[in-house]
Amino acid sequence: MLNDYLNKDTIRFAQNVGGWREAIDLVTAPLLESGSITSAYVDAITASIAAGGVYIDLGFGIALAHSRPENGVQHTGLSSLRVSPTVLLNDDPQHPIDLFLCLAATDANAHLETMRELASLLSDEQLCTQLLAAHTSAEVLAVIQKMGN
Amino acid sequence: MKFLAVCSTGLGSSFMVHMNIEKVLKELGINGVDVDHADLGSVAKGDADTIFVGADLADATSDLGDVVVLNSIIDLNELRTKVRETAERKGLAITAAGEN
Repeated sequence: MLNDYLNKDTIRFAQNVGGWREAIDLVTAPLLESGSITSAYVDAITASIAAGGVYIDLGFGIALAHSRPENGVQHTGLSSLRVSPTVLLNDDPQHPIDLFLCLAATDANAHLETMRELASLLSDEQLCTQLLAAHTSAEVLAVIQKMGN
Repeated sequence: MKFLAVCSTGLGSSFMVHMNIEKVLKELGINGVDVDHADLGSVAKGDADTIFVGADLADATSDLGDVVVLNSIIDLNELRTKVRETAERKGLAITAAGEN
């Protein structure tokens, strides 16, 4: 379940973030703190974005930062960071990001249900809009609660 | 018939596209399509009838056969349009009207 992972500790907000590297540091921080990932995972994400890996841009201003399980995932986790104003992914004007999510998965099957819920949340235009409009963790959790499945 | 969603890690966006393709196929009443996801490194030409990728992988997958490029991973409307077009191109029967 999404709310097994997203809670008041892992849903964060930041203003005037000084670029995408800082955004990645901030969104991965709760997963580092909980031991879900090691710093190697942060380095892998940062390196892949710097190498042009803007594939984490899902569209609608949402980025799903993630790397491979072997790059430092200890246990499955998910975190979110709403930035204001927008941060450019890899300083690329074509990839403005408002909401960073960080997924740490131990293997492809471990996070099947989490990804299924995340996909239905983000693909629902109304819920996606509400998620971007949420400015407290309570508001984010309220949006997650509205999910149909 | 097999559709394959591909991304760099095989865990993030391809997984989402995989699930959303299944959802759209169901909406359109299209049967007989296996959907899976994979990372770019493990995909070879012939692994699937059609490969769905994000715009970032358009160049890297251009020699993998029938490739559908998605501008947004989570835009269901774009996916509905492109899955419908693919089904028509492949001669698959569309038995439901879908949501739009």
